[in-house]
Amino acid sequence: MSWAEIWPLLWQATLETFQMVLPAALIAEVLGLALGVLLTLTRPGGLLANRLVNRVLDAIVNIGRSLPFIILLVLLIPFTRLITGTSIGSTAAIVPLTIAAIPFVARLVDGALYGVPGGVIEAARAMGASTGQIVHKVLLPEARPALIQSFTVMLVNLIGYSAMAGAIGGGGLGDLAIRYGYQRFETDVMIATVIVLLLLVQGVQWLGDWAASRADHR
Amino acid sequence: MSDIALSPSTLPPSALPTSAVPALQFIDVRKTYPGQAQPALRDLTLIVPRGSRTGIIGRSGAGKSTLVRLISGLETPDAGQLLIAGQDAGQLSSKARRERQSHTGLVFQHFNLLAQRTALGNVTLPLELLGVPRERREARARELLAQVGLGDFAGRYPAQLSGGQKQRVGIARALATDPDLLLADEATSALDPETSAGILELLTQLQRERDLTLVIVTHQMEVVRAATTHVAVLDAGQLVESGETRALLGHPGHEVTRALLDAHRPEVQLAPGEVLRHVNLKDLSSQTLAALAGLGARIVLAEAHPQGVDTWLALPEAQAGLLAALNLQAVGA
Ligand SMILES: Nc1ncnc2c1ncn2[C@@H]1O[C@H](COP(=O)(O)OP(=O)(O)OP(=O)(O)O)[C@@H](O)[C@H]1O
Ligand SMILES: [Mg+2]
Repeated sequence: MSWAEIWPLLWQATLETFQMVLPAALIAEVLGLALGVLLTLTRPGGLLANRLVNRVLDAIVNIGRSLPFIILLVLLIPFTRLITGTSIGSTAAIVPLTIAAIPFVARLVDGALYGVPGGVIEAARAMGASTGQIVHKVLLPEARPALIQSFTVMLVNLIGYSAMAGAIGGGGLGDLAIRYGYQRFETDVMIATVIVLLLLVQGVQWLGDWAASRADHR
Repeated sequence: MSDIALSPSTLPPSALPTSAVPALQFIDVRKTYPGQAQPALRDLTLIVPRGSRTGIIGRSGAGKSTLVRLISGLETPDAGQLLIAGQDAGQLSSKARRERQSHTGLVFQHFNLLAQRTALGNVTLPLELLGVPRERREARARELLAQVGLGDFAGRYPAQLSGGQKQRVGIARALATDPDLLLADEATSALDPETSAGILELLTQLQRERDLTLVIVTHQMEVVRAATTHVAVLDAGQLVESGETRALLGHPGHEVTRALLDAHRPEVQLAPGEVLRHVNLKDLSSQTLAALAGLGARIVLAEAHPQGVDTWLALPEAQAGLLAALNLQAVGA
């Protein structure tokens, strides 16, 4: 294939990848953040320590993380149809991507918040801060660099997952590589796609690292 | 010594409480942490006079931090009562407890500053929690930073400050809400001696200017000497003795107190037959010096502080008994 033919394909696939990954990342970040905060608060010794709730949330997160994405994709078809009205295409792919990312984000957020020194939380408690105030004014801001890092890791993961979205007609870069490179032996397309994916992942990681280090005053 | 040794009537005039209600009153307070066999505090009865600078001293694990955690509302007593300005801390609604907490300043050994906030941001935090508008809280924080000598450091992050500067930010933060009670738990333990002295001086000065009640927790007798009017000695969760600093250090009644005094013993080579004695002098007058010379004593170390001059003497054992005759009190032989 000539470059003139490959370019539009690449461009289209890149857009599709963004269309899947960005909404999924934003929704998953919000929900995963909430779940991660709950995980941290309900830990033994936490501000809302509750063994039962913590165990249940922990189990949910573990199950969500251990399911291979391709299986999740299939399992979620009825749910996806319920939400988006269709089970194929880029929009439909957002649902499984989001669901896969939530527990992932939750675990990373839990880890990030765990890194906030206990003494700082204790200082806020001794000032009479409520739990909500501690979350908003201490835990989340103090963990900001780690939270940015975790968002980055999630984005990179979602870009990877989105390659499998071809299985449900989601399109995107991964799908392009498989359709042209693997099924039609168009090695040029395969290589070009891989390069774009690499650049994308590199770019996201670089931006994430930059933002995290800028946010970090330690 | 009686349990309630710090009774208001024994206060020197300078520290006379402006009100009969003590700042803090522990009555048979007991605290056991979950899963612990031994209580961290047992049947503690103690009065901290209003407007005093009270030192809480004891060995590691004595229960000093537990006492601070009770006062600051981080823990509640299992039994007994803790009255803060006459109010039973165990009976407060959570709203009243928060209100109380916002009027109690706490200074920590490891500063516990928010790493992602500037010095200014750290000092404004307690006011932010109370909903004070930005402009007002920043003005107040700048004022406090200037008072602790950090007027030019408002925009620095904790990582850009020295230990002593961080502690000054910690002190400014503790004062943000204009508390009547300031608690310092090992506030100088992570600092070098010179920096520590500066911090203790600052705390003392602020206590005087603002008519605060200052509770200083430490395991170092130097801190008690340098900065307190009253002292309580804890051991294994119990009060072993308490009183005015000068009196108690002059006549330590308990071996734990003596041991804590001894911990400060200087390294010194004694000649055969010589013993080391620690005396607390009102001053080092020429008469005293002459008397000491008459006993064949060498001054090994002398430290001036508000309570007098702490002096370590090396002197012939045969003469050691004569110190008392000179009206010099030997402490912690
Ligand atoms: N959160 C906790 N859980 C269980 N036990 C605790 C806890 N905090 C303190 N203790 C125990 O309570 C006792 C008193 O501890 P506390 O921290 O009050 O001592 P301290 O006098 O401040 O000691 P240090 O000089 O080492 O700071 C100790 O035996 C300690 O092990
Ligand atoms: Mg302690």
